[in-house]
Amino acid sequence: MSIPAPGARGRGPTSGPGAQPQTPRAHGFPSPARDYLDGGLDLNRELVRDRTSTFLMRVAGSAMAASGIHDGDELVVDRAVTPRHGSVVVAVLDGELVVRRLRLEDAVPGRAEGVPSPVTGHGARSAAGPATVALESDDGAAPVVLPASGPEGLRVWGVATYCLHRL
Amino acid sequence: MSEAMALVDVNNFYVSCERAFDPGLEGRPVVVLSNNDGCVVARSPEAKALGVKTGTPWFQLAPQAGAWGLVARSSNYELYGDMSARVMELLGRWGTWQQVYSIDECFLGLAGTPEQVVGAGRRIRQAVQRHLGLPVCVGIAPTKTLAKFANHVAKNNPGDVRIRGVFSVAERPRAVEALMSRLPVTEVWGVGRRTGEKLDRLGIRTIAELKAADPAWIRSRFSVVLERTVLELGGTACVPDVDEHAGPAQVIFSRSFSRPVSTAAEMDDVMNVYAQRAAARLAVQGQQARMVTVTAGTSRFSGPDGSVSRAVALPRATADPITITRSAVAAMRSVLTAGVPYTRAGVMLTGLEPAGSAQDMLEGFGGPEPDRHLEEVLERVRGRFGAASIGLGRGGLAEQGSWTMRREFASPQYTTRFADLPVVRA
Repeated sequence: MSIPAPGARGRGPTSGPGAQPQTPRAHGFPSPARDYLDGGLDLNRELVRDRTSTFLMRVAGSAMAASGIHDGDELVVDRAVTPRHGSVVVAVLDGELVVRRLRLEDAVPGRAEGVPSPVTGHGARSAAGPATVALESDDGAAPVVLPASGPEGLRVWGVATYCLHRL
Repeated sequence: MSEAMALVDVNNFYVSCERAFDPGLEGRPVVVLSNNDGCVVARSPEAKALGVKTGTPWFQLAPQAGAWGLVARSSNYELYGDMSARVMELLGRWGTWQQVYSIDECFLGLAGTPEQVVGAGRRIRQAVQRHLGLPVCVGIAPTKTLAKFANHVAKNNPGDVRIRGVFSVAERPRAVEALMSRLPVTEVWGVGRRTGEKLDRLGIRTIAELKAADPAWIRSRFSVVLERTVLELGGTACVPDVDEHAGPAQVIFSRSFSRPVSTAAEMDDVMNVYAQRAAARLAVQGQQARMVTVTAGTSRFSGPDGSVSRAVALPRATADPITITRSAVAAMRSVLTAGVPYTRAGVMLTGLEPAGSAQDMLEGFGGPEPDRHLEEVLERVRGRFGAASIGLGRGGLAEQGSWTMRREFASPQYTTRFADLPVVRA
């Protein structure tokens, strides 16, 4: 697939008046002319919820292999998606981008609130989030436990939404 | 309540783009260098704090760079162009109208009460941070000149908790008055140093004094442009909705249409005309460009199709109107949604550098006409003067030209080249 640069239509706004950030698969107003112009399937259209906030990244390392994320794979990463308990996220650790699974320690699985983060702006209510969060890998290494917010706290770069794996 | 407008721009745009993909650059002094790594064109706040000035040649800084921890990056136009297109498309979703003013700033129309408009400004700031990891400042006012002023206030008071990147003149009238009585006229949008000196001789030194001047008198002594500035400072919007200007970083040609354009064929024509006008402007300046950005918008908020933007790299730095026009038409076709009534479109050229490369001189050979018997001519020249004596563009040069751009500190083209994707460790 081509990069999700502003060349492919995203599915709709996640910001702006009336935006619904938590409805990732919502279809925009259907344009009959688009199908006419494009003909076949467009992976940008299928995999990219919002082209302004979606980036591709290349994976280096095998610590997330059990989650289906292998060395050399490409991740579709959406910065505007709110990370939740169990999300596969790209986080900033020691000045480096790292892919890990997010655990909201104090949160009930499935009912997690967004993670507050002063850096990404994710999560609207900073008081509602858990005090600490964990970034887990699949390789048995000890999870990295961080404050949920604050200067030394969790910094989510984006949420991985798809993994492209060459067979 | 009449409509307000916002000027939104990205703080230290080039540096912020580099940092978005390389968090290791955060908190460190970073500069971005001009073409061929010549001199500083963008600075992080830390670099500014070190006293590094825009325009400083890199060779003067290089000896101290290690000791200062100063990091240099070559200009990565592909990255900045793509991030700019994303910013503009995202911002376009918020405005009742949008006017792209440069690679990293645009005016937006905002409807609502003063409180609602400030709230929108804060959400805009959050959205750009969240979607793109870029910090922006928002200035809100009834006129463009005042919005520029408000943006300036927001930008220059990063520590003020009451501002936090968003400043509205309607919200803080007394602070505005105090600032205007203190700041020199040259801080006003469009008032240059020479106009400032002339105003000074007439006893007009502060923004407040210019605002209080008689517009008609200003027109007679200066120009209708400065008269508009005076009126705009007083709250009367009169800078025309026409955008055709050139700065050191970009050339822009954009217009509102007399009637909406909703077919691809019509938009092709629009791009044809606008791209050629922008290319002509570029040529007059003696410059060539590396990137073309096209934008289109509707007159009111209308969901995801309300604004589109796309940046594409030109095959090489060029001022050739044919190449630029083709690229603009193709870029617009790729983002346009047929059936949407677009009311405005623009073409922006960025990554500017002085024209006159060896490549450019051979531009005439690059046309599409198949019947110039070029190969025959080239063969005869080669037969007489040697194999590397002539060719198409770079292919004909015996040596690598000195015009090959130096990008010693280049970051990857993270968002526009599949081989260059940012790496995430697993």
